[in-house]
Amino acid sequence: MIPFAQYVQGLASNDELLSLEGPFDVPPPVIAAEALRANGPALRYERTDGADLTSGAFSGPDQLQRRESAPWSRLALGLGLDPEASFVAVLETITQLGPTDDRPEPTADRQAAARTVDGIRQLALPRDADDVWPALTLGVASVATAAGTHWAPVHGAVIGDDTLRVRTPTALSSLLDGGTISVALGVPPATVTAAYLLAVRDRIEVPIQACGVAERVPLVPTNGGLVPSATEVVIEATVDDRNPDSRSDRREAWEYGTESTSMALSIERILATEEPVLPFSPLERPLSDDLQLTGLVTAATLYDRVDDYWGISPVEWVQVPAAAELGICVVATNVLYAGFEWQLANILFAFSSLFDTVVVVDDDVSPRDLGRVLGDIWLKAHPSRDWIFSEPSAPMADRPRYRRDGETGSRLYVNAAWDPRWEDAYIAPRVAFERSFPASVRDDARRLWETRHGGPDDGVRDDA
Amino acid sequence: MTVDSFRAFLRRLDEADALVSFDDPVSWDLEASAVTALANRSDGDVPVFESIAETAVDASLVGDPYRGPRRRPWDHLARAIGLPTGLSGAAYYERLIDRLRSPREPRVLERDAAPCKDIVRTGDDVDLLSLPWPYIHRGDGGRYSNLHTVVAPDPETRWGRWSSHRMMIHDGPFASLLFLAGEQVPNRYYYDYEPRDEPMPVAVVVGAEPVVQCTTEMWIPAGRSEATFAGGMKDRPVDLVPCETNDLYVPATAEVVLEGRVLPNERLDEGPFGDYFGYMNGPRRSMPAFAIDAVTRRTEPRVPFCVEGTGVGYGRNSGSTLQLAAAGPDATLGLQAAGFDVEAAVPWRFTSRTVWVIATDRPYPGYLHRLANFVFTTWGMLHIDFFVFVDADVDPFDPRAVLTAIALDADPDADFHQFGVERMPKVPLNIYQTPEEKGSADVGTSKAKTAKAYIDATGDGDRTDGTADDRRKRAQKRLVTAGMSAARFDLLDGEGKQR
Repeated sequence: MIPFAQYVQGLASNDELLSLEGPFDVPPPVIAAEALRANGPALRYERTDGADLTSGAFSGPDQLQRRESAPWSRLALGLGLDPEASFVAVLETITQLGPTDDRPEPTADRQAAARTVDGIRQLALPRDADDVWPALTLGVASVATAAGTHWAPVHGAVIGDDTLRVRTPTALSSLLDGGTISVALGVPPATVTAAYLLAVRDRIEVPIQACGVAERVPLVPTNGGLVPSATEVVIEATVDDRNPDSRSDRREAWEYGTESTSMALSIERILATEEPVLPFSPLERPLSDDLQLTGLVTAATLYDRVDDYWGISPVEWVQVPAAAELGICVVATNVLYAGFEWQLANILFAFSSLFDTVVVVDDDVSPRDLGRVLGDIWLKAHPSRDWIFSEPSAPMADRPRYRRDGETGSRLYVNAAWDPRWEDAYIAPRVAFERSFPASVRDDARRLWETRHGGPDDGVRDDA
Repeated sequence: MTVDSFRAFLRRLDEADALVSFDDPVSWDLEASAVTALANRSDGDVPVFESIAETAVDASLVGDPYRGPRRRPWDHLARAIGLPTGLSGAAYYERLIDRLRSPREPRVLERDAAPCKDIVRTGDDVDLLSLPWPYIHRGDGGRYSNLHTVVAPDPETRWGRWSSHRMMIHDGPFASLLFLAGEQVPNRYYYDYEPRDEPMPVAVVVGAEPVVQCTTEMWIPAGRSEATFAGGMKDRPVDLVPCETNDLYVPATAEVVLEGRVLPNERLDEGPFGDYFGYMNGPRRSMPAFAIDAVTRRTEPRVPFCVEGTGVGYGRNSGSTLQLAAAGPDATLGLQAAGFDVEAAVPWRFTSRTVWVIATDRPYPGYLHRLANFVFTTWGMLHIDFFVFVDADVDPFDPRAVLTAIALDADPDADFHQFGVERMPKVPLNIYQTPEEKGSADVGTSKAKTAKAYIDATGDGDRTDGTADDRRKRAQKRLVTAGMSAARFDLLDGEGKQR
């Protein structure tokens, strides 16, 4: 388990973090959005007033250029993996945080947040340019029931020094018998990932004592429920109002596919570490942390569901890229037989309501090569035969901006994989450095390039 | 000031520390292209191979000289034509379009004033294999020239028609040219010269000045001359010189000029070739034979080439850059001149000849269909399969923004539009057709037709995030102060100042 503060240090030592010293005359969410748009590193906002903030801790560059790092590299580090871990390893690790057949015994540790904070305004949570109130993002709500503790993502606004207005999955709200809830900010990456996973899977009712995350994250009790002992800030609260007016709230990305509800919370107590560092996400901006987390947990869910569905595992990976704002699902697979891609696309539609476009690519496409996917869509797929639209009777997808009237419409899958009926002679070989030059020529070329150029050999340079 | 020659362009790249020279002998046999592939994929400097092993002529190979930096691929071409570097895509397009709006007639030089006549070889002295043509990918049908200008006669302009058709080297005086019926120059050969059993005079110009290479890639309509648009782009006339063995005119500062005839009813093998799609294009087919009558050249010629295809989806090389930085502005101008209210027409960088993104207003219902139909039936009928239309306020140079528009705004039920089902012509270079569908050698067309489509990824409202530009600029400056490169940001120039 990696505490959030330690994770931020890890990002710094991995050259994935840029520090900015306050004061800030531009709102941190605006700076965060620009850094994300430019595929920059994670940012730490060092402040004398309020807690230090980070943005981009759970995001990463898009895949629309060749890069050394992938969008999931930072989260991989946060989940205890090597930043170069395979995409599928990240997906499987995420899946293991969720419901499990084992019932792991949670471990306890000393609560890191031991200092009492008088009012939430002391934390100086960030406020976006046009927001009235500071925003609370990337939080984990904890609620205790007889079955155990339940976690869910939570975000909202600081209405007053002791008042929050938040949104959580409706499933969590309905568990709130006692009306006591805790909000944990700056939790270990595994925790916020698990909360997102449970929301996207619609499994909030599963207590964390029945989830893999309990095995990885030491916990402590609070007035709401268990929270990670290594939490930067714990807000203990009671529910004042189940349906406050919340029309101005921005949405966190998990809300696109999960029913959510508003609550007004009255803060009872705030505990913080001595020098808390808190993550935030610039909501509704490209490549934001909440988009990335939602895309990854959705991909993990879909991958888990199709893996071994046919008795074997033809699917190499599934992606719901944040670079497409979760409106497209890409699946790399071995097309077992003619028509298999139709089955696969429709299973993915059945398992997620986020998107209504699926792109099927061959199993030799690397998950790091979104550019190749964006090439193959138009090259391998015949414009009339391989763009397949359903009858317009499908329910409205949640993420796209079109057709918001609830009417049914068509779904689309693009078959950008080779037709299994084709003879091998019909399959055009790829052109690539590794394929287009013999090993001896590649070696000579690398030597020549390194010697004369002095730069990386065939490394894929990230932007300066 | 726009450079006058290819080698002056290389000097300008060198002055900008964007060039790397290799003095040790490098083989034309895959080695030069392998090093170039490394340069392309690591966004490295442009490689110049000064010493090519086993080559009679003292010549250099230049790997993908027009590939610009990853973030602003047009920057090197901007250098070539005297525009500032660091321009946004929209600003670069605007500046280039301004130049193209004022075509200039070329100037004809005397033969002895033309550097491309430094050395002249004719008749039996012609030996194509004395030059260092690269063997580019394992599996290619032979050695290729693929970054040149084909000059062919045109009854409507004195200066002929300039276009791009790859050339496979055969032996001393012979090569084959990829002539795909449906394109202007091949059409003239297949439907005019060949039926009359008459050879078509042609010149292949290698290492022409950058404005010539750019206009070669443009969609200049019939009746207009690429040479005049090159003069507009250059802001002064391009120098031409008469050929030695035919009536054509060629750019005077070119590195190498091959004069010859495309013979009627004679074919030579062509391909396969690792083409711009990123896949080996087959099958091997027969293409018109190009008999070379004269080779004129500069001393120590620089021979540019393009490593097509390496890095499927991420192909950043001279070919894709010229599409983005030359064909795009020209197409934008052409659409605007035709009365369409477009901000920019930009090749989709992952498949630059198959898909184009057009940022446009929609002044009336049916406008997008009319616009797509216009292009499919004029310029883009063979290579382009798709147009993606985005709102005028979406940056078509930003692939993430375009991808998001496709994902969130293109309703599968209402926004995908096909032009009939498999009724339209298609080059046989694509890979979604089987070799059988691609057809035989007959004039280089597909047996199978294809569908063309457009995607309406325009939205119904303001898609910006509402953050004022001045606030965004301040945020960007703050990030530059903290250590991020100013080149990453769209509202700052290279020094981190506001645009």
